[in-house]
Amino acid sequence: MLPPPAGAPNNRLGLAKWLVDPDNPLLARVTVNRFWQMYFGTGIVKTVEDFGSQGEWPSHPELLDWLATEFVRTGWDVKAMQKLIVTSATYRQSSAASPELEQRDPENRLLAHGPRFRLPAEMIRDQALFVAGLLYEKIGGPSVKPYQPAGLWKELAMQDMDYVQSQGNDLHRRSLYTFWKRTIAPPMMVNFDAAARETCVVRETPTNTPLQALDLMNDVTFLEAARFLGQRMIREGGANADERLRYGFRLVTARMPTAAEERLLKGDLQYHLDYFAGKADELKAFLSQGEFPCDPALDQRELAAYASVGSLLLNLDETVTKE
Amino acid sequence: MHPIEERNLLLTRRHFFSRAAAGLGTAALASLLASEARAEGGLPGLPHFPPKAQRVIYLFQHGAPSQLDLFDYKPGLEKVRGADLPESVRMGQRLTGMTAYQAKFPTAPSVFRFAQHGESGMWLSELLPYTGKAADHLCLIKTMQTEAINHDPAVTFLQTGFQLAGRPSIGAWIAYGLGSENQDLPAFVVMVSQGTGGSQALADRAWGSGFLPTRYQGVKFRSGADPVLFLSNPEGYSATARRRFLDDLTGLNQIHEQQYQDPEIVTRIAQYEMAFRMQRSVPELTDLSKEPESTFALYGPDARKPGTYAANCILARRLAERGVRFIQLFHRGWDQHSNLPRDIRAQCQQTDQASAALVQDLKQRGLLGDTLIVWGGEFGRTVYSQGTLTAENYGRDHHPRCFGVWLAGGGIKGGVTHGETDEFSYNVVRDPVGVHDMHATILHCLGVDHTRLTYKFQGRHFRLTDVSGRVVREILT
Repeated sequence: MLPPPAGAPNNRLGLAKWLVDPDNPLLARVTVNRFWQMYFGTGIVKTVEDFGSQGEWPSHPELLDWLATEFVRTGWDVKAMQKLIVTSATYRQSSAASPELEQRDPENRLLAHGPRFRLPAEMIRDQALFVAGLLYEKIGGPSVKPYQPAGLWKELAMQDMDYVQSQGNDLHRRSLYTFWKRTIAPPMMVNFDAAARETCVVRETPTNTPLQALDLMNDVTFLEAARFLGQRMIREGGANADERLRYGFRLVTARMPTAAEERLLKGDLQYHLDYFAGKADELKAFLSQGEFPCDPALDQRELAAYASVGSLLLNLDETVTKE
Repeated sequence: MHPIEERNLLLTRRHFFSRAAAGLGTAALASLLASEARAEGGLPGLPHFPPKAQRVIYLFQHGAPSQLDLFDYKPGLEKVRGADLPESVRMGQRLTGMTAYQAKFPTAPSVFRFAQHGESGMWLSELLPYTGKAADHLCLIKTMQTEAINHDPAVTFLQTGFQLAGRPSIGAWIAYGLGSENQDLPAFVVMVSQGTGGSQALADRAWGSGFLPTRYQGVKFRSGADPVLFLSNPEGYSATARRRFLDDLTGLNQIHEQQYQDPEIVTRIAQYEMAFRMQRSVPELTDLSKEPESTFALYGPDARKPGTYAANCILARRLAERGVRFIQLFHRGWDQHSNLPRDIRAQCQQTDQASAALVQDLKQRGLLGDTLIVWGGEFGRTVYSQGTLTAENYGRDHHPRCFGVWLAGGGIKGGVTHGETDEFSYNVVRDPVGVHDMHATILHCLGVDHTRLTYKFQGRHFRLTDVSGRVVREILT
């Protein structure tokens, strides 16, 4: 390990000087490795939290060193480093793998194809709100309390400290602003592996569980978003079902559906149009998830059917995955 | 786990799914999930040796029940009633801020009568008549000790082996190590019930997964319409519609999988199928309406009310029958700083019959042999009264030096009283059992060597028992 610089004071200033000493390779390496993890899901050193003798050896040591020295050379320019990574040929590869690659390098540590990993909890919710047109992009201010199943705080708190849900646009702020009670964390965040904020965590372990499926299917947050996504398909998508479905699919996945996918979506839409036919009460209940009303002038059966397709789109593996 | 084992586990799973992926219909996939559950169930090489217990039911009495009024019979205290606790007993040990500045520490004998039960002659208080009848199945440890003196660190210590938050809970460790026996239910289920008095706060971390992947955290079952969060379809959306939704979802995900070859997509398809099965299996599990009269007679009248401790005890049995690995109940309201005689009686009325019924019920069904039951709180209570001592009334402050816990079933000797405290139930005289010892013993019953169930985090191999823990062999069968 690098000794402290000569004459550095024995305090935080000394620590800072030691950290950024040109002879100390660690800070730049650790930092660019974290950026890399953000984009590729796995760091060049997989154990991003541990560069010690117990940590894992880098998959590409020369690359790590080059990025680290570039970072220092450009004056620790964070923005330039993001640009360097995301415009690289490696990052711009498709995430699709061939069966052969999957056999030879199942973890894709050698980066023969682009990264593919599940989005963090916050992004899953923010993305759903965004494609629904509900995201309220106000910056700053106190935390907000979006939808949460009733009683969660009350069941565990000392007195009657219950969760008082926010109103209006505050229901749709970015998840960054969600109020976080550490002893009873927001369940959707926990379901999707957000760090519990009780210890320092720089690497979340993404899991794939049935509780996530239930959350995306039945959490009022996603049902309301699905309803508004359905409304967008009807209002903005075009005159016929084909165009509307294509529009909705594209909003969520940022690509056009294939013919096979279109067939499935159309079948799903038709099923739900039939399902809701003559079911006035079910229709009303299904469309009253969440506090924001949709346009009452729209054909409500059609809205419910498109909302179901919206929910289907929000549940796609591709939707909750970065690729 | 060793990195090479971790890698092999991942490979097995991935290869299983990449093979399973090609051209499988939903139904065929669903039938494959049974083998998936086995493939994913726990770590290779575990259990380390043949287990006595397959599962654990941990009845956590949250708030800390008084050992002096339930388990630790001290007839000699009547002679020193009201006298200050001798300094020779306390020996300068710390007290909480709630009583540290009391002018006096008047010795408060229990107002409750004790009697001997069962063939072993186990001493128990009159507050536990039903537990008394089960005495021959129980191992009562009178000498549990903890290092924490306040609720939250003490609960965190008992649940995770460490007082500071952030480590995996015992149930998460066991789910991680041993996996689940049931493909339709989580490996670790938690239920919380409310006591009669004021309650201390409880935190989700008590059943959290700490640095283990969150899939190992306890899944909370709640009373009411949604026993598991987000389990129910939205109103107006039937199970039939959900089935169609899932078929279409699977169809779309499969198309994508064929192009991207990512086994995670196949896993996700499987998890949606499990979610669908949970939508059927969980309400069926939590619906007690088909339980016979005899069940309610056994567990007591409270058992008919959803969300009570007694109802949760029946659910615990039903979960055990279905092979859930770690079932944990938390019953709140044992924190009797004042009016202890009145309040502890009410707590016992809520818990005594159902706790004993669970032992008996499992025994009748042949499940007690391989199910370990643990009953206990996070610490004990002081022999001196918090506040004024009268002939009928007193309170008791937190006491970490000794407290009572009982175990029953898989791997544990019945009719045993373990350990001895001094005449004030203040210090342990013989056979102390620390929190790590208890954890080591529970893991041992499950066939797990507590020193070999580890997980690497922040450069260190962590384990539930941190750097200590001794299996209490004296109480094992």
